[in-house]
Amino acid sequence: MSRLQACLALALSLAAAPARAQTFTYTEDVAPLLADHCAMCHHPGGSAPFSLLTYADVKRHAAQIATVTGNRYMPPWKADPRDGPFVGQHPLRRAEIRLLRDWVDAGAPEGQSSADSRPSSAAGRPPWTNGWQLGKPDLVITLPQPYTLPADGTDAFHIFVLPIPVDSVRFVRGLEFRPGNPKVVHHANIRIDSTPASRRLDDADPGPGYSGLIARSAIYPDGHFLGWTPGQVAPLLPKDLAWRLDRHTDLVVELHMQPSGKVEQVAPSIGLYFGDQPPTHIPAMLRLGRQNIDIPAGDAKYVVTDSYTLPVDVELEAVQPHAHYRARDVRGEATLPDGTRKPIIDIADWDFRWQHVYRFVTPMPLPKGTKVSMRYTYDNSSANSRNPQRPPVRARWGQRSAEEMGDLWLQVLPRDDRDLELLSRDFRLKAAAEDVKGYEVEIEKQPGDVGLHDDVALLYLELGQSDGAIAHFRASAALKPHSAVPHYNLGTALTVARRLDEAAAEYREALRIDPSYANAHNNLGNVLLSQKRYGEAIGEFEEVVRLQPASSAAKKNLAAARAMAERR
Amino acid sequence: MFLPLLTVLVQALSGAPVDALQAPAGTRAIVFLFTSTDCPISNRYAPEVRRIADAFGSKGVAFRLVYPSPSEDARAIREHMTAYSYAGIADAVRDPKLALVKFAGATVTPEAVVVVAGKVVYRGRIDDRYVDLGRERPAPTRRDLFDALTAILDGKPVPLAKTQAVGCFISDLAR
Repeated sequence: MSRLQACLALALSLAAAPARAQTFTYTEDVAPLLADHCAMCHHPGGSAPFSLLTYADVKRHAAQIATVTGNRYMPPWKADPRDGPFVGQHPLRRAEIRLLRDWVDAGAPEGQSSADSRPSSAAGRPPWTNGWQLGKPDLVITLPQPYTLPADGTDAFHIFVLPIPVDSVRFVRGLEFRPGNPKVVHHANIRIDSTPASRRLDDADPGPGYSGLIARSAIYPDGHFLGWTPGQVAPLLPKDLAWRLDRHTDLVVELHMQPSGKVEQVAPSIGLYFGDQPPTHIPAMLRLGRQNIDIPAGDAKYVVTDSYTLPVDVELEAVQPHAHYRARDVRGEATLPDGTRKPIIDIADWDFRWQHVYRFVTPMPLPKGTKVSMRYTYDNSSANSRNPQRPPVRARWGQRSAEEMGDLWLQVLPRDDRDLELLSRDFRLKAAAEDVKGYEVEIEKQPGDVGLHDDVALLYLELGQSDGAIAHFRASAALKPHSAVPHYNLGTALTVARRLDEAAAEYREALRIDPSYANAHNNLGNVLLSQKRYGEAIGEFEEVVRLQPASSAAKKNLAAARAMAERR
Repeated sequence: MFLPLLTVLVQALSGAPVDALQAPAGTRAIVFLFTSTDCPISNRYAPEVRRIADAFGSKGVAFRLVYPSPSEDARAIREHMTAYSYAGIADAVRDPKLALVKFAGATVTPEAVVVVAGKVVYRGRIDDRYVDLGRERPAPTRRDLFDALTAILDGKPVPLAKTQAVGCFISDLAR
């Protein structure tokens, strides 16, 4: 064979290769792929707009399937596939995406009739169910009256407050959310509130639920995420990790909904699964992020960074990044004490609509001294098609979707209660310092909100910054001049700052408004004792005993004051 | 005025063949809105389609919903029109042979095609709310169909005669 002939032969064999490649068919090749990667949402009654269970279904969407898998719009998974692996991750391999394209290009043949075969996943399980994914719940809570979602508009948010009817402490191993109307419910952010704050917000808004902000007292229980996104169900927790549910607790469910073009009724339900023992392990929730976000209009590369160095060994169980429409690039990373850098999460094309909780299949061990960090980039220019403002405007921190946020929540499991305590105490100060910034932004927007001033003043006290506390309690007192409580609070902050004369004056003002305010008498007594004004102090403590004859603490304080007066 | 002798045969919901380009005397433009019952993007546009039909329906613009999917029968279409409140603002035709799809050059649902005197003068998106599948603006920055109809009624050229619609592929329906 001449060289030319050899070359030709080679070229021919190359050209012939695609023709020799097998022709993919629906029954043999495509159906199992779709069962594993798509059917959990694309089934009748599922979250997806259409079903993909039969050849007829799939044929009607074949080219679309090849396109949206090719550009990785589907299956929806925003994180870099090299991170994790995470629970519920269904990425298609490159060869599988190619297979779908080749199949469509070949005319989407059915192959052997698929009529009597139901698709099943590789594991042999049916790929979907319309029932509870975790089995029958121990308690089901349903929105008593459906919410009416208008036909028109863009993303809609509404918060529902559902009392949890339990008559004793329970230990929760699982929470499953069912959207009720999966076509319009895009994701759910679920928390619990053991205070009446959320219920009051709900009561103040007619109709089911309320629109507004999540109360600060609505939290993740014992460091557990409770959110829901389509196709995802958090597995049951091991018994020793159950979270404690007290009586009189409310579920707070924030729904993100997308109008469908017609008026829709939405009534989600939540199933709870109980264990029989209190947890022996309690995780902690860490939150990296900034509350002083302030993005100039038009800034296409605004960066938010934060980090925290772990004071104890932990295992990283799960993460949830949170940001709104302007965030473009979201990254979290761990730097181990030996300098090794491990990616935690990388989302190169952040989409506010896919707010997954990413749970590691195998928790990531992070030894004491590890620095966990985040770096988010925002595009507040008009080139960002998701920008909610056009033309762009300055965007500051805030919970509303037109404002911006940048948080990376990390669920970590310390080795034992002692480490949990250490971690919680250490982290608490960092979180409080950041919360203070958020409150200051919120107060700039709503300077007349007494609750905001009081809350931030308490945070300042916790941080040992009495000046901040004094300023905000003073603002509360000015806003509610006829209430004794702000003056009492202000007196307390002034006492911490050792400004005793001013403190005494505030307690006296509180007592002028409410002469029977026992705590004010008591604290005034303490101030007077510090000032060695024993006679006046004893007078105040006597008043406390008169007002609270049953209180043994009051009697003790009076006796102690008398003893000090005699010793001088 | 010379009118081209053109017929594009589609089906009325009764099953009877009709010429899609036929319109009552005085009709200044026909808007074909290609749609399907289960395409979520198509359905989300129902309120905007109603707004546009309200604005132009009384000014000599006829609105026709076109269902190209052979598997969507008259009953499913009637239910769809009731659910999304299309009844009364637009007629519906079936296009199972894709005759109108081919004539108009439509590729996705929802897509709007405006025909004046037998000629396509606008083809594309209703507005620019959808940038791509999975990428959506909070609100449109251009209302292309609305602007096209305004121009036509003003006797002016359509500002952007062709735009890229985003939605569900019509090519799949022919399989």
